[in-house]
Formats: sequence, structure tokens, C-alpha cells
Amino acid sequence: MIFAGIDIGSNTAKAALIKDGTLMGTRVMLTGYHHLKAGTRVFGDVLVQAGLSRSDVSAIVSTGYGRASIDFADKAMTEILCHGAGAHFLNPDIRGVIDVGGQDSKAIALDDRGQVDNFAMNDKCAAGTGRFLEVMANALEVSLDRMGEVSLTADKPSKISSICTVFAESEVISMIARQEKRENIIAGIHAAAAARVGILAAKIRIQGPVMMTGGVAKNKGMKAALETQLNQPLIISPHCQETGAIGAAVLASRL
Amino acid sequence: MKEIARFHEASDRLSDTVARIRRTGRKIIGYPCSYAPEELIHAAGCHPLRLFASGHGIVQAENHLQSYCCSVVRGILEDRLAGRLDFLDGAVFPHTCDSMQRLSDIWRMNGRHGFFADLALPAKLNTPSSAAYMESVLARCKSDLETALKISITDDDLAASIALFNQIRTHLSVIHDFYSRHPGQIRGSDMNALVKGAMIMDRNEAAALLADVAASLRHMPVTDTPVKRVVLAGSVCDTPDLSDAIEAAGGAVVGDDLCTGQRWFDGRVDEVLPPLTALADRYRERAICPAKHAGLTTRADHLISLVNHTRAHGVLFVMLKFCDPHAFDYPYLKKCLDEKGIKSMALEMDDGHQNQGQFSTRIETFIHML
Repeated sequence: MIFAGIDIGSNTAKAALIKDGTLMGTRVMLTGYHHLKAGTRVFGDVLVQAGLSRSDVSAIVSTGYGRASIDFADKAMTEILCHGAGAHFLNPDIRGVIDVGGQDSKAIALDDRGQVDNFAMNDKCAAGTGRFLEVMANALEVSLDRMGEVSLTADKPSKISSICTVFAESEVISMIARQEKRENIIAGIHAAAAARVGILAAKIRIQGPVMMTGGVAKNKGMKAALETQLNQPLIISPHCQETGAIGAAVLASRL
Repeated sequence: MKEIARFHEASDRLSDTVARIRRTGRKIIGYPCSYAPEELIHAAGCHPLRLFASGHGIVQAENHLQSYCCSVVRGILEDRLAGRLDFLDGAVFPHTCDSMQRLSDIWRMNGRHGFFADLALPAKLNTPSSAAYMESVLARCKSDLETALKISITDDDLAASIALFNQIRTHLSVIHDFYSRHPGQIRGSDMNALVKGAMIMDRNEAAALLADVAASLRHMPVTDTPVKRVVLAGSVCDTPDLSDAIEAAGGAVVGDDLCTGQRWFDGRVDEVLPPLTALADRYRERAICPAKHAGLTTRADHLISLVNHTRAHGVLFVMLKFCDPHAFDYPYLKKCLDEKGIKSMALEMDDGHQNQGQFSTRIETFIHML
């Protein structure tokens, strides 16, 4: 039997298909304004990619902030549950998950069955999220994709003291005015964002092995900063961005 | 049920409620905390009205209270400074947390305030001397009311008010017991409205309507559905969306230790003892606020007993941002719950204002974890 998961995040929409405990395929696209359209399209794309049609899918779970908009899903479940299930599917040894998404970040503790045992998520503040990094990338005129690489060349990471995205941006602009090196500023930004996520991890006393999920996991600089902050290595799956969608498909198989 | 609708109206249309109370001839005394001796205020011929922040944006209060004070205190001060509480004939401030004490000071020093009383309650409530001290504080409040209003409050007046408030508490307890034992039969938003309304509306009307609601439950058919049973722990919870979100996620609130919940209406005042002694006993012995002390593990013991009594699956801490007393208590309470294998989660929020997406994500996940 084939099961689908659709994750409508604030930046990107993801879809995943699983069959008999095996991942069949995933797709990612920008969410845009219309959640249902994005969900319908990304689901259609992943079906086409796998050579399947809607009737081949036994059950669908939607997740992410737009989960309630996906009216053709059998059930909507939170991204915390789905990232937990997805991480466990990708690596059953995982006991901790750090999910840094577009507009929020979460630390999740899992039991040995992949069930969520505890979690903490950032509050209204966007510090420590993908949006925070995006704002800083714009201020520094560097593409989001290159931030990680650039930061790894830093010799003396700058110190970002503000925890608010807006204030941190003005602090970064002051550093640019002082002609601090771009790579040092970016490394400082990663350290500041990692410190925020570290607070969440400490709240739930996260245990290893820890997997980092969400689109920001692709950022090598952020991964390095978080590893320093958590004092342990992070496991990154090639499917880090689609982990929520994969978990949703796993949970669909249990409906 | 039309009786429940009246309780919703009482807080939703406060100006109408105030007009109705005015017609009874009673002066209106506001109070921000459940340690206020409502029976005394009522026995003085006044109407005790619990103050809730109306939810308007903070503008003038910003000049007096920093943003690290809780939204309840800042919101009440804003309502006061903006003139939305001009109908009050006075206010009573029990001595509890720091922010509440500063609210009292700022209230007194800014504008017309009519009757005003600070109740310097004991901090430790479980000592023999605290009983005598609490009674003396209440006696002072009684005397201040008598002087300000040029009246005399007799033991009979006080006994009558105690009996009326006991009726309200008893009816609320009966309704809440049904609500707790049969989740889904009464919506959480309706239960909240009953409790909040009973703190605001004319108490004779509240007692009569609550008696009708309690009586109607005897004939209500019961079709229990399995839900995740949740106990709320915290201070003030005036977020109507909270119980809706819990119910939408497949849960139900079955008990609480909130200042705007069971902490307010649980327990009765002894009607045999001398009235002031009985009142002092009740306010010392009821479920405790973390701004007070009655033993190292009193709050945890109460919470665990509440969980056991209601067969709850978990505890949701509803923490007002910047509420120091509750924030200080949280780690030890969580540890005590963890030791008993009771799942819990802290939901930090501003009174009445939520980021809906994150709010429902947290609650749905927590309910699923139970």
C-alpha cells in the first residue's frame, strides 16, 4: 500500500510517498500564497514522478502551518509529530530532532518507537529560524544557499548580541558599516541563531543521536554552529527538508 | 442553554452588566485577584467585580509598567488609565505578587479612585500566627469599608453574604463536577463563561441562574466519548480559544488550579464559625497561589491530587509571560509531575492574545502525546 504526506510550510511545500516502509519519492516547491493550490500541485508532481495516480494512494496526512487547508487529506497532524516520525523512519536510532524551518524552530525528544516524548518550540520571535537567516542574507547581499560555505571561512566570528531579528539586522548593518568581514558576520549570525535553538534543546534536555531536519539543515555553517552549541554531532539526512512530509506519510500508514 | 448565554453576556457586554448592577443600588468595587474578600465587600452593600484586562492595546500603561510585567496587570492598568473603568466606586488590592502591588500603587497615585484598600495579607499561610493575622487584615478591611461608606457591617450581614457566595461556589462545583466527569457535555468555553460571569455579574442573579444550570444537568442525557483529559495549572486564564483548541485536538479540560477557576470557587466558608474567622480560614486554606507559602510541596501535592481525582492524562501549564511566581514554581512542579509519570507541557502566553498557528500546533502535539 502507498501512503502520502504533504507538508505545507511557510516557505516551501513538500510531498512524500512511501510504500511498504520504503521511500518512493519526494518533491519540494515554493508554497506561495495559496496553500491548497501548493499542496495539490506538489502532491500531483510527486505522483507523476512516481508514475502513480491519486487512486493508488491509500491515505494522506497533511502537516505544516497550512495543514488545515489540504482538504483532500485524510487527517492533519502537527509538524512536530511528523518530523519525529520522519526522523525515526530515516534513522530509527534518533532520539532528538532539531527542526529549523522557515518561521519557527523546534527541539523534539523521541522515544525508541519514534513517538514524541517532549518538545519545545520558539515563540513568536523569529530569531533562530530560516526567516532570520533570510533577512540577514539580504542585508549581507549573499544568497541563502551560500551562507553556510561563506561562514566556514570565518577567522573571527562576530558577536551578535540582539536576539530580535529586527534589532539583529540593524546590528549587522552597523557591522557592515564598520567593514567587519562578511564571513565573520555570517558566522556570528549562525552562532546567534544556534544559541536560540540551543535554548530549546536544553529545555527538553535533548539526548543523542540528534538529527537536524528542515530546510536550514542544508546550511553547513548553521549545522556547525549548532554542533558547537549542542556539543554533539548532528545527523543530516539528504531528505532533511522533506522529513516532515515523510513523517506525515508514515503517520498516514498508521491511520 | 439560555442561562449560560447570560454568563457570556455578563463579561462580553460589561457596560450592560454595570448598568444592571447600578440598578440594584450597590456601589461597584473592583478587584484583580481571587484573594479579595468578596463576601466583605458584598456585606458592605457593594458589588465586588473581578477585573479582567479588556484586551485593548497597551498605550498609557507603558509609561508606568515595563513590558516585563504580565499582560493582566498591564491590561487592567491600561483600562483604568484609558477611562474604561471609570464606573468603579473603588478597588481592593490583595497583597500578592510584585506587579500586583505596583498596580495598586500606580492606581492610587493616578486619578480619582474612590474607595481604596490594600490588603497586606500574610505571605505564609500555614502558621498559627497567620490565622490571627489574616483575620486582623480582614477586620481592618471591614472597618475601612464601614468608615468610607458610613455604614456598619453586622455579623448577620456578613453571614448572609457568606451564605450567598457559598451557594455560588456550591453550584459551580456541582456543574464543574459534571463537566469534569462527562467531558464534551459542557463546552470548556461555556464552563469558563460560567465562572467568569459569576465573578462579574450581580451575585443574586448568578446564584439563581447557576442553581438552574446545576438542576438542568440532572436530566441531561450522558453520552461519554473518549477524550484526553487535561488539567490546567497556572494563574489567570482568560483565553477563550484555549479550551476550544484543546477540544478541537481531541482533549477536554477536566480540572484546574487557576485563579480564575477552581482556586476561586472550590471550598466553602464555614457558616458556623464567627464570620471573620471563617473567612480568614477559607482564604488561608484554599488552593494556594505561588505568591504565598503553605509548605514546600503544597501546590504540587494539590496538583497531583487533582490529576488523580480527575483521572487526567496530563497537565497543561498556562503561563502568563513575565509572571514570576508561576515561573519560579514551574521547574519544581514539573519535576514532581515527572516523578509521578504525569505528562505536562508549559504553554507561555499573553492574556487573550495568541499566535494561532503556533498555539494550535503546541496543543495538538501535546494532546497527541498523552
